[in-house]
Amino acid sequence: MSDSKRNLAIRYGLVFVVMFVIIAPFYWIYSSSLKESSEIVAQAPSLVPQSITLDHYANLLSSSDYPIYLTNSVVVSVATMAITVVLSTSAAYGLYRLPFPGRKTLYRLILLAYIFPGSLLLIPLYVMLSNLKLLDSQVALIVVNVTFAAPFSVWLLKAFFASIPFELEEASALDGANWLQTLLLIVVPLASPGVASVAIFAFITSWTEYMFASVLIVSDANRTLPVGLAGIIGQYVIDWGLLLAGAGATTLPIILLFVLIGRFFVRGLLEGGVKA
Amino acid sequence: MARTIKSKRDKRHRRRALLGVALVAPLVIWLLLTIAYPIFSLIRLSFLDVGIIGTGGDFVGLANYQKVLSSRTFGPSMGRSLVWVLGNGVLQTVLAFVAALVLNLPFRGRALARTWVILPWIVPTVVAVIVWRWMLGTSGGIVNTVLLRLGIVQEQIGFFSTGASAMSSLVVMNSWRFFPLLTIIILAGMQGIAQDLYAAAAVDGASAWQRFLNITLPGLKPVLFVMGLVGTLWSVNIFDVIYLVTGGGPSRATMTMPVLIYDMAFLQYRLGRAAAAAVLMALVVTLFTIAFIYFLAPRGDDQDEAWR
Repeated sequence: MSDSKRNLAIRYGLVFVVMFVIIAPFYWIYSSSLKESSEIVAQAPSLVPQSITLDHYANLLSSSDYPIYLTNSVVVSVATMAITVVLSTSAAYGLYRLPFPGRKTLYRLILLAYIFPGSLLLIPLYVMLSNLKLLDSQVALIVVNVTFAAPFSVWLLKAFFASIPFELEEASALDGANWLQTLLLIVVPLASPGVASVAIFAFITSWTEYMFASVLIVSDANRTLPVGLAGIIGQYVIDWGLLLAGAGATTLPIILLFVLIGRFFVRGLLEGGVKA
Repeated sequence: MARTIKSKRDKRHRRRALLGVALVAPLVIWLLLTIAYPIFSLIRLSFLDVGIIGTGGDFVGLANYQKVLSSRTFGPSMGRSLVWVLGNGVLQTVLAFVAALVLNLPFRGRALARTWVILPWIVPTVVAVIVWRWMLGTSGGIVNTVLLRLGIVQEQIGFFSTGASAMSSLVVMNSWRFFPLLTIIILAGMQGIAQDLYAAAAVDGASAWQRFLNITLPGLKPVLFVMGLVGTLWSVNIFDVIYLVTGGGPSRATMTMPVLIYDMAFLQYRLGRAAAAAVLMALVVTLFTIAFIYFLAPRGDDQDEAWR
């Protein structure tokens, strides 16, 4: 084997190892969730399912509370996404495109909010939302999730806003467009990969949040997916088939979203990261 | 004539500035209400004798702080948080550097790999917990099975049975979740390093290791600074992985500060005391942040290019 060929083989070997560490656990969830119960609990696990069944997914949808959790998670995540997109896009436009004194300080404070440990806010937010009679409501979760998603979103939008030429905005203003028209018809469409990234980030933040959802929600009917799934883990005898199907089904929307806009999201991370 | 144009421009300038303030205001107000005000009320709560939410609270001065500081759980939990942060910091950084260096090589499908490397970071923690518990199980878990078959171990490893093994397993799980984000951050930093430096070094006959030490690492300084700070603050904050896998056990061996605070507030119903513990943790985190920025912030690193 020649030198360059060997280098090539090593290179692809390394890429394989890295991607294996990332992907293998997901393969293991999905392949196991398709096995029949007897194969799942077998002492010698099979790398490729010997039996294929959708029973666990059917069970999940028909005889567990999964559909309720799913509905709650969709409601909370979509609302979080909508509010975060509006708040962070308008803030980003103000911060990056409309010069006003003190905006750098403001930007740094928003970044500070983004790194602030959320676990320290658990107790006071619990007390505050309880005083507002918002415990056990999805509004409480939406409020909290927006708080954790929005600061990062403002940062994520920076690179996308920076790439839009000012001349376009000036031309639009000369044509008599007001600021809202300029923002919605010129800036947002040009920054749309960034806005999409923010949307996916807010959705994911909300979809995956566990700590606040476990404390702020009391009744089973209002639970979101992470807390609902955790309830299944906590049972005395774990139904692994059901749990693995639940994990697989909960991950699926994220994977689908990521197929659509994942590359913009990572591009935003890559370009934003340089100017952190 | 010139003056009216100037004043017109001034007026336009002022109006744009006002608009800017108005557009940022909703988010700032939102964050003031949900972060700044809660911090204030956390501090207030730490001086009150509150048990369960909704019960009255007398002002008790520093009594909560005294109880927390003299309890047998606080010191060890602080220590475990330190172990947790260091363990995660080392493992995540090493994994992220390896992954970033590999994904920075030219290969087919690189863009795809760079997108999907982030996957563990975006799945729900509870899913990661399910996968890892499934893989690390003692009866038919894939990891134990493979280790046994390869003859690396003679009997099943109880990954969560002792304090040290539970802590190590949790660090591995959590690092698996977070190293992808650090990988992307390092890759971003690598993009900012001028490529002709590498070309020049190659002409000079520098080895790959020398190029890494003398070009890549120094070029990554600002990125490493951000990573060290943000990574530490995020690790300290981790609650869900630990709570969902071990609940802080076995015999408190994995009870880091966030788990302790949760336990005090929502299982033992001592909100005031838990608030005091949270304030103490916040103080330590703040001191760390100030020291980190003061001693390690890259100097002369202005971000003006991004602002116009």
